[in-house]
Amino acid sequence: MGGTLLSSLLIASQALDVDQGGLDVTANNIANANTPGYSREVVNLSENTPEEVGNLTFGTGVSIEQIQSVRDQVLSLQIAEQTSQQSGAQTELNALQQIETLFSSSTQGIGADLSAFFTSISQLSTDPSNAALRSAVITAAQNLAVSFNQTAQSLTSNQLSLNQSVSQTVGQINTLTQQIAQINAKVGEMQQLNQDPGSLLDQENQLINQLSQLTNVSETQTPEGLTLTTGNGTALVVGNQSFALQVATGASGMQDVFSEGQDITSTIQGGVLGGTIQVRDQDIPGLLNQLNTLASQFATSINTAQAAGFDLNGNAGQDLFSFNPAGAASTISLATTDPNAIAASSDGAAGSNGNIANLMAVESTNLPSGDTPTNSYAAMVSQSGTLAAEAQAEVTATTTSINQLNDQLGAISGVSINEETTNLLNYQNAFSAAARVVSTVDELTQTVLSMGSSSATAS
Amino acid sequence: MRVNPNFTPDILSDLYTDENQADTALEQLASGQLINMPSDNPVGASELVQNQAELSQTDQFIQNTSDVEGLLQTADSTLSSVVSSLNQAISVGTQGANGTNSAADLQALGQQVEGIQSQVLGYANATYQGNYIFAGTATNTPAFTLDPAAPDGVTYSGNTDTNTVQIADGDSVQINLPGSQLFQGSGGDVMGALQQLVTAFKSGNTTAIGTATTELNSAVNYLSQQRVFYGSVLQQLTSNQSYLQTEQLNLQSAANTIDGVNLAQAANNLSQAETTQSATLAALAKVIPENLLQYLQP
Repeated sequence: MGGTLLSSLLIASQALDVDQGGLDVTANNIANANTPGYSREVVNLSENTPEEVGNLTFGTGVSIEQIQSVRDQVLSLQIAEQTSQQSGAQTELNALQQIETLFSSSTQGIGADLSAFFTSISQLSTDPSNAALRSAVITAAQNLAVSFNQTAQSLTSNQLSLNQSVSQTVGQINTLTQQIAQINAKVGEMQQLNQDPGSLLDQENQLINQLSQLTNVSETQTPEGLTLTTGNGTALVVGNQSFALQVATGASGMQDVFSEGQDITSTIQGGVLGGTIQVRDQDIPGLLNQLNTLASQFATSINTAQAAGFDLNGNAGQDLFSFNPAGAASTISLATTDPNAIAASSDGAAGSNGNIANLMAVESTNLPSGDTPTNSYAAMVSQSGTLAAEAQAEVTATTTSINQLNDQLGAISGVSINEETTNLLNYQNAFSAAARVVSTVDELTQTVLSMGSSSATAS
Repeated sequence: MRVNPNFTPDILSDLYTDENQADTALEQLASGQLINMPSDNPVGASELVQNQAELSQTDQFIQNTSDVEGLLQTADSTLSSVVSSLNQAISVGTQGANGTNSAADLQALGQQVEGIQSQVLGYANATYQGNYIFAGTATNTPAFTLDPAAPDGVTYSGNTDTNTVQIADGDSVQINLPGSQLFQGSGGDVMGALQQLVTAFKSGNTTAIGTATTELNSAVNYLSQQRVFYGSVLQQLTSNQSYLQTEQLNLQSAANTIDGVNLAQAANNLSQAETTQSATLAALAKVIPENLLQYLQP
């Protein structure tokens, strides 16, 4: 068969098919040049089995062995990993930036109100029976209590809005794991038929990336297909099966995340869900705790100092502040708004300021927590700033690293227009050449067919 | 080697970085502060809270100092008037004791002393902003009331307590002396000596007048010694005032060191960020349309 016109025609027509296929792949690559997550496809050509004719070996043309998408699973994994860290840090940052505004001013808020309270008492020492100065102390105390209340309430409302987003995020996670399980099933079918599930894998990678933005997942390839688990090993997808997470109110009164009846809230890390839970369950309670400690210890110290003296009317000093120990900062308020109740006197006389030293001592004495009131507050300011700054630093670091990983992945899987154009020209040329072969063979065949008749006419 | 053909994300993230830097520089220029949020510098932000607390404390100490100065000056000048009234009484007493006066003269001189007595009583009940300044801490009632039956001719209704006011970190001053110590002290009983002189004039006994005058003389000396207290506290306040003002400046400059924007540098940062940004944009505009297709003629 080799070495005949017919074999040349066959080779050329096959070449036309192959070049057509190459053009097809090129067209598809160009079409998806900007599709997120798309991995470029390449055509693997292979020489056909040659044919032996006597002692001659004839090539039998070309065929497409495989159309393969070019991907790097390790890089994809790293990107997913970094993505979940980045979106976790970003979620924390968004929440913490709102929280740090509560501590942002050195001329307003609890810090400034603490100073104003103590300066008003110090001022009272110059004229302890002065009604205006006494009222000023009450006003300053009231401002301070209100600042405590507002800061505590803002922290709590931030916590509640984070809490609301937990069930929403879990819903999104469940939708994604369901979709991934469905794709897994199709991928399995295609792989059994030895087909390249390239575009499905692209879709799956995209979904895994989206899932990584929500929470940290680990991927393992098993004979049954892809297995996805949370960071601590709770199964999310096994082959074609997905496991939904549930949300229910936990012991803390917050929405906890359950898997198969087990509370996995504290083990969730990374992603929107991890970031939300970190701020909701660690950062805000930490600040709130410090705030409550400060409010209750400060109020108790002032009340103790009050009890050591006498009010304007010569009666033993009564509590100035009252609070509920369950939430001192949000409940602290004035036990009395009577300016005469301030126990400035140490001897019962209206003009005595002897007990003001005791009240003022609260400003410079360490509370049971180990710090003065102002320093305790300053520590909270620094804490809120540090949390936000750390989240910011992590966002910056992971963003840089994701950019680099994407560059690496792009170098492997990205569609290059230049490259595709070159391929396009190659296939175009090859197609034209093969077509020329076909027409040449056609001409030759005509020549051969007309050999008999024309020679008969000629002779 | 194959490179990532899609460089738009890189360039975009560069652009975001440039914009961020420009934003930061602009915010610093606009607010004049390096720390607009605690996260800009957590340690600095907490130092600012402490600095602000110390500053307002220092401001209050300055305020306290000047408030207390008014009280002390009033007390001091009142006592100076008391001393000159008493000196007047001493010269009346000396005149009465010389034995050349008629009964009518003695009576007139005696009335003069009684006038001085009530004048001194008035001084002893002096007030500052409605408070009786020589009543110890019982400042809402007059320190002394006239009481002819009492040995000193007056009763002291104040107490013996004193007040102190903090005027600097760890530094307090006493701001009053009780009237009983000033006017009825064991070292010199002003009120008692005056009453003794009044009684002596009434009796017309020149010897008694002489004794009472001597008594009054030593009481005046004693009072003058007591008065030194006010003078020295006032002096202390004045020197404290200048110390506090230095302290105030130190704290303000410390705050500025933590938080103050170096305007030249911030402006420089801003223009640098803008330059980088326009360079990135220019590169982007040049690079994006570059590809092989440009060079293939249809």
